[in-house]
Order: sequence, then C-alpha cells, then structure tokens
Amino acid sequence: MSVVWKYEKNHTMQMRLIALATFFLFIIFILIMRLFYLQILQGDKFLLLAEKNRISTRLITPDRGRIYDRNGVVLAENKKTFQAVLIKEQSPDYKKAIESFSKLVSLADEEKERILKEIKNKRAFMPVRVKDNLTPKEVVLLQLNAPDLPGIQIEEGLIRFYPQKEIETHTAGYVSLFLDSEAQDKDDPLLSLPGYRIGRAGIEKSREIFLRGEPGSKKTEVNAAGRSVRILEENESVPGQDITLTIDNRLQQYAYDLFADNAGSAIVMDIKTGDILAMVSAPSFDANLFLAPISSKDWKKLSSNKKMPMQNKALHGMYSPGSIFKLVVALAGLENKIISANTTINCGGYTQLGNQRFHCWKREGHGKLNLIQALEHSCDVYFYEVAQKIGAEKILETAKKLGFGEMTGIDLESEKTGLLPDFEWKKEKYNDAWRMGDTLNLSIGQGFLTATPLQIVRAVAAIANGGYLVQPHILEREETFVSKPLFDAKNLSVIRQGMIDVVNKEGATAYGSRFNLNGMKMAGKTATTQVRRISAEERKAGLKDQKLIPWEHRDHALFAGFAPINKPRYAVVVVVEHGIGGARTAAPIASKLLKKTLELAIEDEKLTKLEARP
Amino acid sequence: MSFFKDRNCYMKDYNLSLIDKIRGFNYLYLFLISLIVFIGIAVLYSVGSSPSVGSTPSDPWKWASKQSIRFIISLWILLVIAMTNLRLWMKYAYWLYGAGLLLLIGVELLGHIHMGAQRWLSFGLFQLQPSEVMKIALVLALAKYFHGASLEQIRSVKFMIPPVLMMGIPVLLILKQPDLGTAMMLVFMSFGVFFLVGVQVWKFIALALVGIGSFPIIWSLLIPYQKKRVLTFLNPENDPLGAGYHISQSKITLGSGGFWGKGFMQGTQKRLKFIPEDHTDFIFTVFAEEFGLFGSLILFLLYTLVIGYGFLISARCQNSFGKIVAAGLTINFALYLFINSGMVMGLMPVVGVPLPLMSYGGTAMITLFISFGLMECVDINREMVIGRLGSIDDE
Repeated sequence: MSVVWKYEKNHTMQMRLIALATFFLFIIFILIMRLFYLQILQGDKFLLLAEKNRISTRLITPDRGRIYDRNGVVLAENKKTFQAVLIKEQSPDYKKAIESFSKLVSLADEEKERILKEIKNKRAFMPVRVKDNLTPKEVVLLQLNAPDLPGIQIEEGLIRFYPQKEIETHTAGYVSLFLDSEAQDKDDPLLSLPGYRIGRAGIEKSREIFLRGEPGSKKTEVNAAGRSVRILEENESVPGQDITLTIDNRLQQYAYDLFADNAGSAIVMDIKTGDILAMVSAPSFDANLFLAPISSKDWKKLSSNKKMPMQNKALHGMYSPGSIFKLVVALAGLENKIISANTTINCGGYTQLGNQRFHCWKREGHGKLNLIQALEHSCDVYFYEVAQKIGAEKILETAKKLGFGEMTGIDLESEKTGLLPDFEWKKEKYNDAWRMGDTLNLSIGQGFLTATPLQIVRAVAAIANGGYLVQPHILEREETFVSKPLFDAKNLSVIRQGMIDVVNKEGATAYGSRFNLNGMKMAGKTATTQVRRISAEERKAGLKDQKLIPWEHRDHALFAGFAPINKPRYAVVVVVEHGIGGARTAAPIASKLLKKTLELAIEDEKLTKLEARP
Repeated sequence: MSFFKDRNCYMKDYNLSLIDKIRGFNYLYLFLISLIVFIGIAVLYSVGSSPSVGSTPSDPWKWASKQSIRFIISLWILLVIAMTNLRLWMKYAYWLYGAGLLLLIGVELLGHIHMGAQRWLSFGLFQLQPSEVMKIALVLALAKYFHGASLEQIRSVKFMIPPVLMMGIPVLLILKQPDLGTAMMLVFMSFGVFFLVGVQVWKFIALALVGIGSFPIIWSLLIPYQKKRVLTFLNPENDPLGAGYHISQSKITLGSGGFWGKGFMQGTQKRLKFIPEDHTDFIFTVFAEEFGLFGSLILFLLYTLVIGYGFLISARCQNSFGKIVAAGLTINFALYLFINSGMVMGLMPVVGVPLPLMSYGGTAMITLFISFGLMECVDINREMVIGRLGSIDDE
C-alpha cells in the first residue's frame, strides 16, 4: 500500500516540478522581453534621458550694450555690483540668517517672502538672490557680521547703472527685472535667467534686441545632486551692441533743470538732420529706481503723482497746439494764394458768427493788422477771418503735410499720433457735420486738434529749414534730405519773419525772451491753450487770475521756435503743463535752451562765429 | 534519464563517507553560483570607482573587497552544510522553525530601528535578520510536514491548516516590521511548496479570487509609505523627483544601456549617482547600463541555469523531504530574482528585495549560501531513503 501512495505522490511531485519550472521559465521570458523593450525599443529614449540627466547647460549672461550721448558721455553702463546670495545647504538655519541679514541691510517684506519661496523651490546647493546692488558700506557691514549670517555669500556681478539718474530716463530708458509671468511669448533663453533685466522704456526698450547680446553657455556634467562634476564645453557670450544717441547730455541736463518744479517737456532738434539734441519730460525719476524690485511705497508715489513722471510727455503728451497752429493757417493761406503778407484785417476784439461770438484774447482788439503783425501779436480775430476764406480743408491739408496727425517715426516706442480732425472724423465721432465754428477753433489751434511736442517741433523745423519734413531720431545716423521742399520758400520766409518779430519786436508776445548771442537771435511762437472750456458766465464775470485757480485747471503754456534767425539750425518746443501763459513760462525756457544750444555748438565749433554773424 | 538511476546498494544502510560526499558534491552547481558572485563583485568594483561627493576619495574596493571576504566565508559555510547528514535537518526542522519564530518575536520586542523598519537583531559583532532565518526554516518545516503525508491527506482541508499557520504566523510578524518584500517571498514560496506536494489547483484559484476580493482590506492595513510605493509604481511619472524617482531613474539607467552597454566602468548614471541604492537593490541596473542587453542575457542565462539545476536536484532526489527542500529553496532563489528584477524594470513596486548573489550585503549572502549548502546536501544524499518519521526503517 505504502508503495502505491508513495509512487502516486512522487509522480504528482515530478509533474508539478515540471509545471513550476515551466512557469518560472515563462516569467524569465517576460523579464527578458521587458529588458528588450527597455534597452532596445526604448533604448534611444532612455539614452537621451540619461544624457539630459548628465548634462546641465547654464547660460552666461552677456554684457548689455552701453548707451552713450553724442559726445561719448555714458548714459547707461554696467557696473560691478555685489550681491548677497544664500545657499541653503550651507545654512543650518536660513530663516534666522535672513532675519539677521534684514537687520543689517534693509529688506522689504515682499522680498523676504520671495527669498523664502525661492529657497523652497530651488535645490539646496543653488544660490538664491537675497539682495543685489549692495553698497560698499553694506558689503563691509555684512562681512563683519558674517558669523551671524551662515549660508549667505557675497558675489560679484554686473548690474545696469544709469549715472545720469533722472536726466535720461525718457531717452536712454531703463531696465527692470523680467517677470516669470511675462515669459510665455518670449523665447530667448536669456529671459529665463534669474535676475535678467529687460528694457522698459526709451532706447533700452526700443533697442532691447541689439543691446541684449547673445548668451554664452557652459555645459557641465552634473551628478544626481545637481553638483557640477566637470566642464564639458564653454561658449563665450557675445556682448550687446553699444549705442550712441544724438542727445547732448549737457543740454539735456540743462533743459531738465530749467523746468524746476514744472511739469512738461522740451525738445531741441537739429532741423537739417532730425537729430534730437535734447528731449526732456519733466518731472522724471531716477532710472536706477527699477533695478531692484521697486518698493510698493515708491511705486505708489511714482504712479499717483499727478505730474506723471512715468510718462514721456514729448512723445505721449497730446496738447492743443494753440496759437502755434496759426503758423500752419498762415502757411495754408499763402500756399493757396488766398492771402498774402499784406492782407490786412481789422481786429475789433471778436468775430461774430451767426449768434456766436468768437473772442480775441485781447478784449479791446488789436486794430488793423497785416499777416506778420497778426503773428507777432497772435491776434485771434485775424485768423478767424482768414480761416473762413481759406477753409478747413486747405488748413488740414497743410497741417497734414507738416506731419500733424501721424507718428513722426522716431526710434522710440509707443509714440502717440495726436489728432488731426477732418470732416469724416467728426461725422463718425459726433455724427455731426463740420461747422464754421470748428474751422474757427481750428484756426487758433484749439478744439479737436491735438499734437505731441515732437510733432510740433518737426513742423516748426520744416518751416525753419525751407520746407523739408525731417525724420526726428535719437539714434545716431547719417541723414540727408531726399524729398523736394514741400512749400514755397517765399511763403516760408514770410512765416519766419512773423516768428522773428514775435521774439524780437518791441511789444510782441515773446519780446521778453529775446537774446543776442554774437548776433545770433531766435524766433518762435507762443501758445496758451485752455485746458477747460470757458463758459459764457465766466467770461461775463471776468476771467480770474490763473494763479487763483487749481493747478490742474490752469492753461498750458507752449512755445515753439528756432535759431539762429538768419541761418536756422535748431528748432525747439517747450510745453509747460498748466504753465498759465506761453510767453510767461514756456518762452523763457525755450530762449535759455536755444541760447545754450548755440553756445554749445560754438564751443564744439559746429557753428563758427563767422557763420553766426547776420 | 541517468539521474534517476537507482543506487540500490545504499538502500538499507545509507551512510556516506566523507570521500563519497566529496565525490557526490555537485561542482557545476557551485561553479554557476560562484560565477554570478564574481560578476557581482565586478559590478561592485565599478560602483565603488565612481567619484565620490565630498572629501573622501573614491575607492573601487569599497564594497568589492568586503563582498569577496563574505563570499569566501560563505563558501566554507556552504561546504560544511553540504557535508552534514540530511536526516539531521529533518530531525531538527521544527526546532529551527521555532527558533526562527522566537527570533522574529525578539525583533519585535528589542529590535534595532533601521531605515524605518525593525528587521535587525544586533548580536554584537554581526547583525541577525530573523526573517532571513525564517526563509530557510519555513522550507525545512514545511518539507518535514509534507514528507510523510499522503496525497489524500494533502488534499484534505483539515490537513492543510497547520502548514498555512506555519506560513501565516511568521508572515504576519514580518509584515509588522514592516518588510513587504520578505513577507511576499514567504507566501509565494509556501504556495509553491503547497502546489508541489499536490494541493489541488482549484484551491489556488479560489484563494486568488478571495485575495482579490479582500484587496480593499489589505490596502487599509498597509503603511502609508507602502501605499505610496504601490501608487508611484502604478504611475511613476506623477512624482519624478519624489518617490517615483527610484523607478524613473532605474528605467533610464537600464534603458540607456542599449544592446552592448556603455562598457565596464563607463556607466554615466552610475558614475553620477543617479541610481539610489546602486550597490544593493538596484545593482542590476548598473550591470545592465554597462553591459547592455547582451550582458543581461548572459546573466539571465546563468540565473536560469542555477534555477533549472535547482529543480533538477529536486527532481532526482529520491526522498520527499529532500525533494521539497530543494524545490522550496529554488523557489526562494527564483523569487529573489523575479521580485528584484521585476522591481528595477518597473514591473513591480519597489519592495526592497536584493538581487541574489550580486547585491552587496552579508546577511542575504550567508542565507543564500546556507540554502545552497542544503541544496548540495540534498543532492549528495539524493538516494537516501527517509522513513515517514525520519528513520531508515519505519516504513
């Protein structure tokens, strides 16, 4: 019996052994198939992943191109800077280290939060920027207290620096930190570098690509901890292009200082080349302000300032050109042979149009005036009258020729076009026909019409240079006239004579701002433009002294002109926002500015004294 | 089939002399095992040669030398065990099992905390891992239990209660440590033995169905880190820098080897320390990175030969005890291989089972060589007749 059960059991066990062995062979087969899948079918993919593991490519930031003024004065450069970084793995208690740090060097709460967040997200050996742009004093202070700051190191690097501070903020511009949230549509790998700063205004913005340069790269082999084991490949970075501007920093500084507490802008342009020698927007702010993340207090102060320091008023400010536009009306009349220099009109203080009365700025009237005298005294009635003869269409056509209503194409970004209204525009906007009243308002540069200071200076330059519309530019380049003159030289000289008399004839509007520099004089036209409409009751009650009304309601003061009068070379525009009167505030600034321009030109021997003689 | 040839002259009084035993010793089997150990030492040399982080210089022999010494010591243990009398092992099988159980309880009581798991019992100079002892003791105990059993007995449910408990008690203790890998191995090995001795196949199927049904209960018993490991196994890409890092990097290392591999000592993943536990549980990835599919196939061939030889030893053993011991130990060995390579290839959760004969570590090596000593012992004594109760003449 026992033999039987033993045989049976043995037989079962032998069979089961074979089954088990077969099953195991099957498992081994599966394992080998898996290996084949991983190593052969997916081998290339995993090899790539292994290489990605192994090789870390780090970008080397290129030196950003420097910006110079026309004489080689540095407007933007890269300064050696010291920055404090924290390396987590070297800090037993990094929170405490940051606390002690903030006791030595001021650190905003938002910054503290950012640092703690970055430490959490980055690997332990990666440095996290704590604060850059440390002053030498701060560096010494930190070094002395090093024992209290475990894990905090001081590193040397480059940071943008604007030695001119607020003077060139609207020309050279400024940079600030590139934010991760902006990164979507930008594909330059440089932008992903922590602490990369991108141009936000001025040339820094419009020439960003040229200034940026090309990043170098450093390929290193890294281990699993991310630490670099050896350098595999190193490519030098290509520094960005240096850029020279047409700006003369001396003049720019001078112009800025002339504004003192006023808000406004001033442009000095070479009428032949379109070189912008100075372009000031006041008030301004220190371009270095945005290098470090701006504190919310500073930001509030800057953005809530009603004088709008962030705005480049020379390009973005849109003003009614006021009486300066009378030059355009006069030119339109002369060009179309509707009036001549001798056309005489009697100003009785107002022009009656239907039941509406259009007042001259001089209530009692100017009496009999010819064209040049009308410009000299800026008589409104004269232009009301001739405008009715010329017609809005021809005035607008001339304005368009002089560049109103369209961008000048200056090499800075987000220039405004101003507004040159026409019949269709009014129809569309107000669903109303163009009326004679609109023409009258247009004739004295009020109403719908607006222009930027840059457009005004270009128009004045065209009058001064013999009818060529130049392209204003801030980047240095060779420029020659290619177009034919747009206007008759004789007509232009009539207009110029009017402008000369405005400044140089006794009793004229800007007589107080005249100068004589070795025989060189200036010419120009003042404008005072209403910021708000004067109601009939107010006019009846008598106009209040401008000084008694709130700043925001005061009239804008404008002046546009050129010098020297006999051989024009430079055009100027000055806008003093709420400056009360063109002759009162804008003309003196323009006068000083042009005089300084000429002085500098003589100093630089661009204008010889001989040339300056009448 | 020559290995089934009867040697009837030993039938009655089976006492082999030492010379007989040395003659009967299976040298080919030992050769195959040693070959795998040598390959393991070479890989350990390669792992040791990677530049180390910090100030300590890299030392190729860092692990290789210790492993070589362990091999030499283990070899002597193997030889001594091979020379013992198989009957002795049967005689003391339950005692050994009892001792293993006590050790497991000892670990529970005064175990030394290691890597979040109580697995080690410190005995001064060396550490004892009771779960390793249990791997052998359970095989011996089950072999003794089933040695004299008839098929009818085995097919009765009542008869199967003691062996299930024999397996269940240590498994629960080990799960409590917690050591999922070893517990899994004990369960699978026991089931393998149950299958071998003739438990009906439908019982396994029924059990499997019950197991699937009770999955939610088992899941709720798992420690959070075990759950996390299972979850990251199911989707490692979810967390490539966290818990899925092991699996992702393991697959990258294996896969980047390609067909021919990167060459000995040339593995980049290894050199730059992307492989966690590169000298222990994940040693196969280092090998596969440097020797490719080509090397891996050779290695698998060696393992397959060792497993096949194990089954052969079992098949040609005349007594049930030896047959079951040889098969159980071979199943054990194969499970080591399957679980380890399965987990490094991303086919299984990472449960912490070393690659047999290659992974660095003394306890596993000694356990394995004790097993192989027993295998040799079974093979040497394959014609021994052992009665139902262990004596020669109680049939």
